[in-house]
Amino acid sequence: MKNYLIMGLLAIGLLSPTSSKAQTLPTGKSIADKTYAKDEGISVRRKLTMELKDKRGKIRIRETTSIRKYFGEEKRMAIYYLTPKSVKGTAFLTFDYPDASLDDDQWLYMPALRKTRRISAANRGDYFLGTDLTYEEIKLETRISRDDYTYKTIGTERIDGQQCYVLEGTPINDKIAKELGYSKVKLWVDASIWMLRKADSWDVAGNHLKTTAIKEIKKVQGIWTYHLIAVKNHKTAHETLFRISDIDYQTSLNDDAFTKEALVNGL
Amino acid sequence: MYLKIILFNILFFTLVGLQAQENKKSFKQSLSSSLVVETDVSIEFKSGGLQKTEWLLKPEFSYRLSKNSRFVFKGQMYTELNDHLEAAVPKQETVSKFSKRLFIGDRANLEVREFYFYTNFRKKLRLTIGKQQIVWGETDGLKLLDVVNPQNFREFILDDFEDSRIPLWSVKAEFDLKNIGVQFVWVPDNTYHITQDFEAPYFTKSLFQSPPEGMTIRFDKTIKPKRFIADSDVGLKLSTFTKGWDLSLNYLYYYDDLPVFYSHLELSETNAPLVAIRPKFERQHLIGGTFNTVLGSSTFRGEIAYILDQNFSSIDSNAPLGVETSNNFKSALGIDYIKGENVISFQVFSDIITEHISAYNRDTFETNTSLQLSREFMNDNLKAEVLWVHNANHGDGFVRPQLSYWMNTNTQLFLGSSIFYGNGNQLFGQFSDRSRISLGMRWGI
Repeated sequence: MKNYLIMGLLAIGLLSPTSSKAQTLPTGKSIADKTYAKDEGISVRRKLTMELKDKRGKIRIRETTSIRKYFGEEKRMAIYYLTPKSVKGTAFLTFDYPDASLDDDQWLYMPALRKTRRISAANRGDYFLGTDLTYEEIKLETRISRDDYTYKTIGTERIDGQQCYVLEGTPINDKIAKELGYSKVKLWVDASIWMLRKADSWDVAGNHLKTTAIKEIKKVQGIWTYHLIAVKNHKTAHETLFRISDIDYQTSLNDDAFTKEALVNGL
Repeated sequence: MYLKIILFNILFFTLVGLQAQENKKSFKQSLSSSLVVETDVSIEFKSGGLQKTEWLLKPEFSYRLSKNSRFVFKGQMYTELNDHLEAAVPKQETVSKFSKRLFIGDRANLEVREFYFYTNFRKKLRLTIGKQQIVWGETDGLKLLDVVNPQNFREFILDDFEDSRIPLWSVKAEFDLKNIGVQFVWVPDNTYHITQDFEAPYFTKSLFQSPPEGMTIRFDKTIKPKRFIADSDVGLKLSTFTKGWDLSLNYLYYYDDLPVFYSHLELSETNAPLVAIRPKFERQHLIGGTFNTVLGSSTFRGEIAYILDQNFSSIDSNAPLGVETSNNFKSALGIDYIKGENVISFQVFSDIITEHISAYNRDTFETNTSLQLSREFMNDNLKAEVLWVHNANHGDGFVRPQLSYWMNTNTQLFLGSSIFYGNGNQLFGQFSDRSRISLGMRWGI
């Protein structure tokens, strides 16, 4: 009897294949939550190399060592410049609080001044140290924001051979859109390991702004880890490659490595 | 004294030995090195002549003894081809024998900029022992609490503080008491500011009273502290971060880095009156603190310094030996506003003499302001900035516009200018003839 009912509903078009697909796709909110639930280890130490390429092909390289540690749900991260040698020792520290209503706290140590300068984290849409990722994107890594966007899951696609959910996100209001610098994002989230694999974003005027590809995702010490991020800014034709190497999740990091005094002493 | 040095060395090398046992890496893996080369050519607007043609080679080596400890060496070869800023071989009278530069002819010198051992001992106590820079304070451009290390005034305050600050042999110990960071500093190095001779381009004549016209002056030998322990400086800094506020409390017991110029009249051998000047370094206490917090896109920061028994040259003819003493309250408030690639930074400095004295060439209440504007372009390839420092009491100051450009990964070019204005008897105005345009390069491997 039940089968006849389903066949009948299909026949009159009330249960179309499209609506069936919509029901099986997870919501954007649940996907965002899963990207946060992904294991990132308590602490990690890694080398981050940034290759900045302008539209004329000129390449500048910045090598850094970064450390990150969770203090409960609060995430603290420090990045130390290794090259160029003339700015070696420049260091950036951020406290990322789980309460979305709280701005992060950030400090920048400038060896030329030998001073640690407190910097506002309110402008999270500003570009991070001349690269094509914003401070907000650096902070999120391969997660997608839980609070800034209203998402719609529009389907599935394969990226680098992996099944991904495709989401469209629009900022929840104009203020957030202005803060982030985006009017829309399109995100491809890996359906099995819940990591962002690709993102497209549009500026507040609606122009296609950036494409971000997260590649070479491999397990390191049992944790899914990205090794390359390629970002292209379509407006400026500037590109940044982030290469991540020497990753160690088992490193022992003292709590006092994440203080502004520690920035002065270096790693 | 030698016993103390021996004991100090035993303690030091025991610490180094303990750390070295943990090192499992090869020598090559433990050693890192770099070299930075800087050059700067400056031309004076008024004379059209070269003010300086400077080359600096800065090698740096770091040898890691273990995960938590390392030796750091930073050397410097400084060459000024014109031999103009510090002409000939300076006497270095204010510099201790352990910190003197080694001059090679008139135009070049070698210097151990920093050489220290750093260890995070049992992850509880962070020790930095050796020649180093210890920097306190929140302000830019003008110093309040940044007085632990003295300064070379070869270029007044135009040189980068990193280059003009004189590193000292000292011990810095840091540890945490709950959420309070404690920093203790001990500075046995009796080195003080290097000021320039009368003929040097940046001789700070505004600090020195001229004697009555026609009167002879006799400069006696400067009385300088010499004792290793008794004449050392000590300081304490407590810092914390709480509820969005960075706070620090600072105390320093130190010798003022400028001597007090005691003067009196006496008769020469020919019975002619002369002014005898006897420079002497004097001790003082400094109590101060800093704060900063963030509100939206702005950072608010402040710094205070209260100096007890600061000595001032006096214009009161009844002042004993031409000097009067007062407490001195200095404060600074600043705001940094960041929007995208733009930064606006404004600071107000006040300097108050708390007693009724007649200090030479300054008001009881002095106010300086600074405004810095900067903007980065082309993914931080190009930076344009301008700094304007102005004294509200005397109307003098200076303006420094600068462009900097990354040519490639390792090379940065600079084009800038320093323009002084105001009365020739005042701190900034006295250098009106020194206004200049500069072209420089920094390269590192």
